[in-house]
Amino acid sequence: MDESKKRLVQRLIRRIPTKMLKTTLQKWGHLTGEQHRAMDSIQSKWALTESLLAICEENELAVKHLTELEMIYMMDNPDQGMWYAFQLTDPGDDAQSVDLMQFKEQFKSHLRELVRQVSVKIKKHTDEAVWIRIAWGDAYSRPDHLKPTYVVHYLQTPYVFVTRLNSKQKPMLFQAMVLSTRYQYFKDANLSGRNLTAIRDLLMRKYQQVFPTKYPSPLTERKQTVTNPHVEREQAKPAANRLQMACEAFGGGTLPQLQSAVYKLETKFRDHTNTLMTEREEPFRCVVKFSSTNLLESLKNCASSGIASTPVTPLLSSIPLKGKNYFVITDNVPGPSSQMRQTQN
Amino acid sequence: MSRGFVYNILFRTGIVLSVYIRMSLLKPFSKLPGLNAANILLVECEEQFQKSLADALVEETAVTVYVRLAKSLPLPKENEESRPRIDLVVFIINLTSELSFQSAEASLKYLDPGYLLGKVCFMVTNARNASVPTERLDAVRKLAAALHCPLLFAEDQTPDGVTYATKRLLSILKVSAGLVPMATALYLSSLTSCTVPPDIDQPSFD
Repeated sequence: MDESKKRLVQRLIRRIPTKMLKTTLQKWGHLTGEQHRAMDSIQSKWALTESLLAICEENELAVKHLTELEMIYMMDNPDQGMWYAFQLTDPGDDAQSVDLMQFKEQFKSHLRELVRQVSVKIKKHTDEAVWIRIAWGDAYSRPDHLKPTYVVHYLQTPYVFVTRLNSKQKPMLFQAMVLSTRYQYFKDANLSGRNLTAIRDLLMRKYQQVFPTKYPSPLTERKQTVTNPHVEREQAKPAANRLQMACEAFGGGTLPQLQSAVYKLETKFRDHTNTLMTEREEPFRCVVKFSSTNLLESLKNCASSGIASTPVTPLLSSIPLKGKNYFVITDNVPGPSSQMRQTQN
Repeated sequence: MSRGFVYNILFRTGIVLSVYIRMSLLKPFSKLPGLNAANILLVECEEQFQKSLADALVEETAVTVYVRLAKSLPLPKENEESRPRIDLVVFIINLTSELSFQSAEASLKYLDPGYLLGKVCFMVTNARNASVPTERLDAVRKLAAALHCPLLFAEDQTPDGVTYATKRLLSILKVSAGLVPMATALYLSSLTSCTVPPDIDQPSFD
């Protein structure tokens, strides 16, 4: 038996929880009914590994079949590890007409030109997403199937989501991606999170947005929890106003789950009481990081409960507005710098 | 307290100091009481516990309880007409947040001194939380003692805690609304007001 195949099976069984194994194997569809029943009756992970290895031998399943099983599991459970968002810019004339078959062929051939030893598997998910699994190798070694990179791309959109990408392989992926999607440039979207659907929703604006309105929206009226006629809120109007402002900034309904937001400050230190620091020429560098299990929801709650002032500062509201959670803030001075500029509040 | 007494005497004799006549000041005797009704004002910065308390308070059947909820004082002017006479003002302070205490302290300025004759009480939540600095509880204690107000402790997370807190508030409310014969708010507050142990500022040696 091939050693790499054995290790791949071991890893797969270790990663997939026992209660999800059954459905994943059924979706895979390489097992006979009898083999399914046999797998169901086994409890321990070690025995499951042995049994799956025996089945692979019996059905003559190769590594590529096993990678398919891993892909099926990954597509159903994408929220593992950090996902990074990238954006393609400057579309060519035929960027809108790229279809799946064309993309598949071109991506594979472009990547093979750059790296000889690479194994690429492309599958289309139900929600229009194209999933790409890349196992990288180099000049002297075969593709390493234990550390694959996953890329999710929505055709005809400029967004690409990547997880487990090595910095060494970054330029190769970028080049293959740019050439096969007919765009000119590939840039970091400065957005990352553990939840793939959340960062996708945030970038593609797939969450419920609230727009500024002069008249009270039915949403705020519905949200009033006090219904008893004997209970009256004195400051109901300012509270409704705050909630409206918070919803305008962060969106209504359930918000995409972001884990953190990072602000890198490169601004001058301003404090009238501390002249020593204020008079320094070079900027005061520091990093501010907000983290939470659901960052946008907590920021919205801060604004609606009055802990943070309303209207919400552009520093916070630009997280959903620009679809970013990494910001570099420099002083607002005229200059040729291409960095994102924002005044400090 | 002395200022409150003086003001109260002045008020009863018909001499009203112009300094106290401001629209934003909440006054205890500017309106007529309702029949068999008691009005309670819950002031809480976070607006969390007051909702569950309000829902439990209006369940009372012996008297009609009207609850007003506020984040802080002063109360908005446009509700002045519809607002009934407030019989009891409760400041809810969440001990885990400094903001909550500061907000309550700032709100006190917009309260007529007449309220301090037994119509104000403080309710503290999260006092058992380990992350609470002891100085904050001491500060609340001193504040309550200085104003001669009762200080209640409540558990806001459990339904039982809300029930007990409601019971205690109702018993004070009934007295301060004048619904209990032979008892007045001032009489009750002299029995229930918070006292500070004389050695509160001393470092403990144990």
